[in-house]
Amino acid sequence: MDKLVTLWEGSGLYNLELGQAVMILVGLLLLYLAIYKKFEPLLLVPIGFGGILANIPEAGLAISALDQAIEVAKPAVLQQMAAALGASLDPLANAEAWRESLQMMAHDGVAPDQLRAARDIAVGVGYSDGMLYNFYKVAIGSGIAPLIIFMGVGAMTDFGPLLANPRTLFLGAAAQFGIFATLFGAVVLTSMGVMDFSLNQAAAIGIIGGADGPTSIYVSSVLAPELLGAIAVAAYAYMALVPLIQPPIMRLLTTEKERQIKMTQLRPVSKLEKVVFPLMLLILVALFLPDAAPLLGMFCFGNLMRECGVVERLSDTAQNSLINIVTIILGLSVGSKLMADSFLTFETLGILGLGIVAFGIGTAAGVLMAKLMNLVSKMPINPLIGAAGVSAVPMAARVANKVGLEANPHNFLLMHAMGPNVAGVIGSAVAAGVMIKYLG
Amino acid sequence: MQNQELLQDGLALMALGMGVVFVFLTLLVISVTLMSKLIGRFQPVPVPVEAGRKSPPPPAASTEKDEIMAVISAAVHRYRSTRRR
Repeated sequence: MDKLVTLWEGSGLYNLELGQAVMILVGLLLLYLAIYKKFEPLLLVPIGFGGILANIPEAGLAISALDQAIEVAKPAVLQQMAAALGASLDPLANAEAWRESLQMMAHDGVAPDQLRAARDIAVGVGYSDGMLYNFYKVAIGSGIAPLIIFMGVGAMTDFGPLLANPRTLFLGAAAQFGIFATLFGAVVLTSMGVMDFSLNQAAAIGIIGGADGPTSIYVSSVLAPELLGAIAVAAYAYMALVPLIQPPIMRLLTTEKERQIKMTQLRPVSKLEKVVFPLMLLILVALFLPDAAPLLGMFCFGNLMRECGVVERLSDTAQNSLINIVTIILGLSVGSKLMADSFLTFETLGILGLGIVAFGIGTAAGVLMAKLMNLVSKMPINPLIGAAGVSAVPMAARVANKVGLEANPHNFLLMHAMGPNVAGVIGSAVAAGVMIKYLG
Repeated sequence: MQNQELLQDGLALMALGMGVVFVFLTLLVISVTLMSKLIGRFQPVPVPVEAGRKSPPPPAASTEKDEIMAVISAAVHRYRSTRRR
């Protein structure tokens, strides 16, 4: 009978907490959105599945050896760990209270060497870091995975339209207003006492408005790792929703006549220009904004591999097999951050709300900038392409093209919109660099 | 009081960030335009290359002739074969 009780007490059902159950449902919801609604399935399938794995009770796939020992070890081990952390446990309290106080100690201002000693005890009695925890540490904790993805994006990007009409870079810059307006919005919410975000967290939330998955993950892993799960989910979900979010804003801010504007055809761009561009961008980054160097450096490297034409194998690997491998690991790592205690908070709702505002403001700023440029410049600019300034390559450009075709069925804006689109990628990487410089 | 500070920090970061993004991308616009002009000026380089390719006309002409010969002989062949029937 005792053995049966032990078996029951070791089962998932017995140990399932409400939070974990809810998070497993959230993971299933993400899978549903990815599989049936085709929301960025390449990312949301691994993220959703990782989220389910991370919340399996007792398995502790997403937590460190130390946390795992605190959660499930025997009282004797707990006492040893408390001694290592330089504290004593109240002998009158029960083991559950000990676990809680140990958890508090382990996450609040303990000297690194004490933490290491406690960890050694946990490892010594046979606990090890969870699989997803290791994935996270290697892929995101080190910053490698988002950067490799960025290299792949660079290898997939054709800067031709941008080089043919460099002024579209301004549209990419204007759309970054979404990032900073959202940052300010988060700060205002905090000062009004509605939410509680630090400036670092506000910045990490704002970057959702850059509509750039790897950049969002990179920035939040540096500035606010505790919010990474919610931010990554919001960023990828809203990127999938670009075709729904953008058109109403674009129609609201433009007149029918403006939407019909035809743009002059782009000049052909020579191969030499395409080869020189990533190098030039790299030099500018090196000279003026070294903090954007990790993101833009990898981006330029990928693009140079594509354009130089002598390393086709490397370029092919960067934009296909490598980016796929890294996407799997990145998705699972992000999923490991979908834990009940950090995700099921009021702040997550705030992040989801602010994220969609960020997209809206970015789109509006791009469109308004395009209208302004149209007043100043001689060459006609269709304001719709301004909306493509939020990165989300190539979705945003396709949306601009589609809305343009609705106004005039013979007006193809796709190539014109690719310019601001890739400019948006550069712009959001620059914005990320500024924020990391200012707050990092 | 602390909130006031946070607000100010947020505002400062917003202004600084937008400023840097715009300045950097303006620099990029200027340098891209310059680069394109420079490369455009050196565009004469590929033109002589093309001229160089054209410079040995005899082989090109001979391939042209070969082609014409081939076409003519094919036509003759077909003409004859239809005549025979």
